[in-house]
Amino acid sequence: MHNRKSGFWPYLLVLPALLVVMAVVFIPAFNAVLMSIQSYDLRRPSEIGFIGLENYIGVMQDSLFWESLWRTLLWVVFGVGFQFVFGFILALLLNRPFGGRGLARSVSLIPWVTPGVLIGLMWRWIYDGSYGVLNDILLKLGFIDEAIPFLARLSTVFPAVIVTIIWQGIPFFALMLLAGLQGVPGELYEAADIDGANVFQKFFRITVPSLRNTIYVTTLLRIIWVANSVDVIFNMTGGGPAYASQTLSVYIFNKANALNLGYSSTMSVILTVLLLLVAVPYLKNLFRNQEN
Amino acid sequence: MRKITAFSLVMALCLLMSVGCKKKDDTSSEAGATNTPIPITHWYWADNPDYSEKMQQIVKDFNDTNGKNIKVTAQEYPWDGGGYSETVFTAAMGGGGPDTAAWKLTSTPLFKANNLLAVLDGYIDDWTDKEDIEESLYGVMRAAGGTDNIYVMPWNTQVLYVYYRPSMFKAVNISAPTTYDEFLEACRKLTRDTDNDGKNDVYGFGMRGAKGGQEPWGSFIYGRGGDFSDFSTPKAVAGMQDFINLYKKGYVPPTAPTDGFNEIIANFKSGKTAMTIHHIGSSSGMVESLGEDVDAFPFPKGTSQWTSMGDTENVVFDACDNKDAAFEWVAYLATGKGQEEWCKATGNVPVSKRVQAMPEFQNNKFMKVSIQGAPSAGIFPILDTTTEWINTIWPNTTAAALAGQKTAEQAMTDLQKGLYGS
Amino acid sequence: MKGKENRFYRLLNLHIPLILLLLFLLFPFYWTLVTSIKPARELYGSVVTYWPRQITFEAYKKLFFDYNFLKPMGNSLLVAFFTTALTLFVASLASYSFSRFRFRGRRLLMILFLTNNMFPTVLLLIPLYAIMRRLGILYTPLALVLSYTTFTIPFSIWLLNGYLSDLPQSLEEAAMVDGANRPQAFTRIILPILIPCLIATGVYIFMTSWNEYTFAVMFTNEESRTIPVSLKNLIGQLGVQWDLLTAGGIITIIPVCIMFFFAQRRLVEGLTAGAVKG
Repeated sequence: MHNRKSGFWPYLLVLPALLVVMAVVFIPAFNAVLMSIQSYDLRRPSEIGFIGLENYIGVMQDSLFWESLWRTLLWVVFGVGFQFVFGFILALLLNRPFGGRGLARSVSLIPWVTPGVLIGLMWRWIYDGSYGVLNDILLKLGFIDEAIPFLARLSTVFPAVIVTIIWQGIPFFALMLLAGLQGVPGELYEAADIDGANVFQKFFRITVPSLRNTIYVTTLLRIIWVANSVDVIFNMTGGGPAYASQTLSVYIFNKANALNLGYSSTMSVILTVLLLLVAVPYLKNLFRNQEN
Repeated sequence: MRKITAFSLVMALCLLMSVGCKKKDDTSSEAGATNTPIPITHWYWADNPDYSEKMQQIVKDFNDTNGKNIKVTAQEYPWDGGGYSETVFTAAMGGGGPDTAAWKLTSTPLFKANNLLAVLDGYIDDWTDKEDIEESLYGVMRAAGGTDNIYVMPWNTQVLYVYYRPSMFKAVNISAPTTYDEFLEACRKLTRDTDNDGKNDVYGFGMRGAKGGQEPWGSFIYGRGGDFSDFSTPKAVAGMQDFINLYKKGYVPPTAPTDGFNEIIANFKSGKTAMTIHHIGSSSGMVESLGEDVDAFPFPKGTSQWTSMGDTENVVFDACDNKDAAFEWVAYLATGKGQEEWCKATGNVPVSKRVQAMPEFQNNKFMKVSIQGAPSAGIFPILDTTTEWINTIWPNTTAAALAGQKTAEQAMTDLQKGLYGS
Repeated sequence: MKGKENRFYRLLNLHIPLILLLLFLLFPFYWTLVTSIKPARELYGSVVTYWPRQITFEAYKKLFFDYNFLKPMGNSLLVAFFTTALTLFVASLASYSFSRFRFRGRRLLMILFLTNNMFPTVLLLIPLYAIMRRLGILYTPLALVLSYTTFTIPFSIWLLNGYLSDLPQSLEEAAMVDGANRPQAFTRIILPILIPCLIATGVYIFMTSWNEYTFAVMFTNEESRTIPVSLKNLIGQLGVQWDLLTAGGIITIIPVCIMFFFAQRRLVEGLTAGAVKG
């Protein structure tokens, strides 16, 4: 342990980061909590005032809030889950030597480089019920005999946007895990080969443990990011039709844009608390791992 | 460590220099003028790059000809499905907003509540071109502000009408409907199977269910005698039921709940639908694709008659230091050469009677239909809940009704609550 | 690698999954490309064409000459570059501290750094705009750089912390035993090994800055406009300018991929077989 010797070093190193973030984020965050206990609607500025927990009670009674929350859960579990799985597979593949690997790595990045507005529009068009290429392919292959309006049908719209967010997130995991893989010493694998280990054993006993902290951090960050992401859904469906693709972050976004800041702050405070709760087991694990 | 420090110092210097350079440019351009011109900043959105260029040209013409040393700088901002208003709002609240801006009536309550807009009555009363604009239009502007003052300067309007395909009408032997019931009948008759594969491939009507669709929808409510003061009346509910039935019976494409502007226009141009509702702004594109085989009629009368009046205006902000100059500019857009140039380029209906009377506008068949529909053209009530109602509540509630999740009555009750509170 | 992989095995567990994944990732890009070179009437035709019947580069011409797309591209590049550099600098220092030292308040700070992204940016806009205006940096690239660093720094700290924690402390300890002080141990031993992670984190920061819209639309005017705002301008009330939008998208994507192509070579360097463990 370095406790005795560290002195002021740690604080000094952290200071720039702290300063930059403090004024511009912590204070508005505090502000948000304040707004959540007021009736803060910029469309009616004369009516701004403290109303205690009224916003919170209103939110609890709002069925749309619960629906959106449930959908956020599905969104995160399936979205991040599959992003992680496919991203990890891609990272492993891109770590192997083969001709054109550099090119493959560069083009894997494309979903990440694509501007959000373009993602929404292009996927909207791919799913289109009249001119969409997905319908065209399915029709031609004979899987369906009538075009499916993916984004107009209540049962298909949410899975459709989930596929898009999975598509968008694969490069993130692929890249992060690929970088992490570089830190795994090659001779561990060689030793395992000598011991006669098979692919799965090597993967689960060497690769995964060596990447443990990287995996924890990237999935945690990604969960927070995906839970809060509004871009894809907003550009593709706006949360509809009939709120069928509305996650909590989209609900908050729409309410905040309608300038009902009190109500939207309340919901974001709740969402933040929930995300912190999700983060707790991660953090426990992470801090415990780092002690070792 | 030294290398890193050195590198970061260099970077910081570059960044500061880039900021410094910008500032220098600004001051040098101002110092270059002989007597300082009156600066007016104008924000606008453009529906396409050609219109943007047109606006910049109008600005240049104004700057060259106004004779009062007024210099307008126009900055374009994205329309972003209406996000434009929020951008302007944030800037105005943050103290850095423009002097004048292009406008939509629905934004008025929000800005007025926060005391951001300048009162224009004094300027309009003293204005030489005051009579050039229809008095009823001033009335609409007043209503938006919720008081007897005018905060919004008219610019141009778009009256919604019904596009149709004459060839399809001929194929099923009907003529342009003149009553609401005939219209509903036409939707049914025009839905047919033209390639004999057992499935309908042409739909009578291109229904718009996404945001913005409330405008064509309103006509159905009035068609049954309802109105917007209370959506939950039996007559209004009947109109909603007609709307739902069109979808349920398959007279509109199955994608209707999420069809927006792009989709309804594309479906009409490709021959998928026989009729669809929009305004003159899309007419040149229609003619380009369909030539002579596109015409229009005003939405016909049922028990009552109503069609949506799309609007675009300009406003002057209270924070503007040179309100006289600002009014000069917005007046130029409303009745001066700016009006002429803009309406010619975009095809929108001029608010200036003088410009309306010009041959280019009188001889356009779509302009004629717009003018025919003008007496029954109106807007939705402009309340502070209107923006949210249009953006979120109407599309989602209507989609739920179309999908059968809600009955017409439930949906209308929700819409009533959403706009009026209870 | 020990042993010979026979070609069939390799095809099955390398090439096929790779191609399938890349196909999924690349198809929308392909569709964007095809859309940008299709003439307008083919877009909404009743038949979906997978390759344009008629190729036209009209959109690209319009984009560069009439629409002057180079300016927003330059602005985006400038902002992204400085955001990345500044963030990496600040975040490396902070995350090194978090991962190597145990000090009071460490956990609280790390948790606070996690919460910053949990509030809707809309809430921040008005106060931030007012602050930027008062500082006089409104409508300059600096405004965006500062805004972006506020949310890239916390996440980068977490990312780098994760990587650093996977690196054993024994490495610096060995160096310090040999007489080096901490900063020297950092620059000579850790930093080189950290390069793949810095690149990966750098890419994350770059992308975040490159694609950001909400702050960009408020803090830029036509001079300092960045790409996402510029592209949004192509969507008006009368619909989407498909040709320009997709062409703009393609032009946005390709240079970044090329830059990454050169950067990713450095990803391979890392712990070589000579690293000491334990």
